[in-house]
Amino acid sequence: MITSRPGDPGSTDILAIANLPILWILAVGVFAAIILQTVVYIRAARIAAPAAGISSAELKTSFRAGAVAAIGPSLAVVLVSVALLSLFGTPAVLVRVGLVGSAATETASASIAATTMGAALGDASYTQSVFAVAFMAMSLSGAMWMIATLVLTPLLRRGDSRLRSVNPALMAIIPAAALLGAFASLGIGELGKTPVHILTVLTSAAVMGMCLFVAHRFNVAWLREWGLGCSIVIGLIVAYSLHTTGLMPGA
Amino acid sequence: MSSTTVISTPSADLATFDRTTSRWGRLTMIAALVMSLAAPLYLVLFADLGITQTQVWIAFLAVAAVFSVLWVVEPITYYPILGPAAMYQAFMIGNIANKLLPSALVAQAAIGAKAGTKRGEFSALMAICGAAMVHVFFMLVFVGLLGSWLVTIVPADVTDVARLYIFPSIIGGVIVQLVVSLKQPRVTLIAIATAGFVFFVLVPAIPAIANLATGITVVTTAVLAWFLRRKPRSDSTKEIS
Repeated sequence: MITSRPGDPGSTDILAIANLPILWILAVGVFAAIILQTVVYIRAARIAAPAAGISSAELKTSFRAGAVAAIGPSLAVVLVSVALLSLFGTPAVLVRVGLVGSAATETASASIAATTMGAALGDASYTQSVFAVAFMAMSLSGAMWMIATLVLTPLLRRGDSRLRSVNPALMAIIPAAALLGAFASLGIGELGKTPVHILTVLTSAAVMGMCLFVAHRFNVAWLREWGLGCSIVIGLIVAYSLHTTGLMPGA
Repeated sequence: MSSTTVISTPSADLATFDRTTSRWGRLTMIAALVMSLAAPLYLVLFADLGITQTQVWIAFLAVAAVFSVLWVVEPITYYPILGPAAMYQAFMIGNIANKLLPSALVAQAAIGAKAGTKRGEFSALMAICGAAMVHVFFMLVFVGLLGSWLVTIVPADVTDVARLYIFPSIIGGVIVQLVVSLKQPRVTLIAIATAGFVFFVLVPAIPAIANLATGITVVTTAVLAWFLRRKPRSDSTKEIS
């Protein structure tokens, strides 16, 4: 392990602390937990298969079908993850974006956390301290999802009637309102920065709109999964050309 | 069902399956939970970054203001589709709606199993296992190995621009995706109006609340969306009948 004091609170060299060996070890550990779970589940399913009225050939077919169906969506997540590497470093991206969370929730969490420290993701205010607090906040939020799953699954299994009696209108409206409110606020926040930020947000939105329209109109299902990846790549290309050609003085 | 029989009965086998999957599902999830928290905790406590406990709590509360509803609602929403065993997989692997559920449906269709039956549950479980292995492999190879290498060879000005503009280039697409997939025009308008009001009127008037803008927007949107919701049509039909 490097030194016992690797950090420099004011440095913007995020990757110096984001790629520490201990973080790599813990990230690989999370992957190991998933692999172990999969192995245990497959063995348990094989043993109980006859009782469930499913043959071992059908178990194998299901495994393969699930694996093949996941290739496209999984590669789409890979693309988004690679784009985020310079912001969070590999271990954090692997665990937060690749697994537990998603690009949308984790970058939103990180941005909200950075704001509480008076900073913004990726610019000169995004120091090692801001990164560490953002990483902590998004990990705690991800942990709450897992804790809720650990607590609620046994209750739901027992068929807890109180959980089922939750008003369906409440279940439909409040989460949608929370998500839309959060992302509308974060989006408008970006519009208040530089002209490059504004054009990047608009490009990303337009690309996603086109992807979803084409996916719907011409029945191209994979475009729906790749929409975010396309939005990010084209958004970044536009940002790069505006930023480097200096056409936009605001940057 | 007699305890003296040596041949296992179907119901005993299924009970063993339930016990094994819920015990190991929980254990592996708790392990992942601890390791995923240990990483940032190490940075906060031991990297000498001068971070205070207050800073962490404020950041967490701001994030909680936005996502706490989803922590609880998502597990309840997905439970009927996933079943108990797959719950522990799904909330660890992530990307449930866009990767795991489609995989499960494709697998069930491939063997002609109906959702809600034991066959369907086992088929979905195996499909999620398959999806998990593909995803773990791709992430480790393409992001862990190739991605990390890519970052080292890409010119510094490109990674600088990527770092600076990655958030705006995500947020635009995510908003459009959310609006289209949620199909709640009324809530969408309320959210945009609230966010605009908070950002252009409230924050300039009271600069001290700038850091809370997102939390304020979320809570206000939720309250307004609830009270301005379209009342179910069943109320009016009841009056007619």
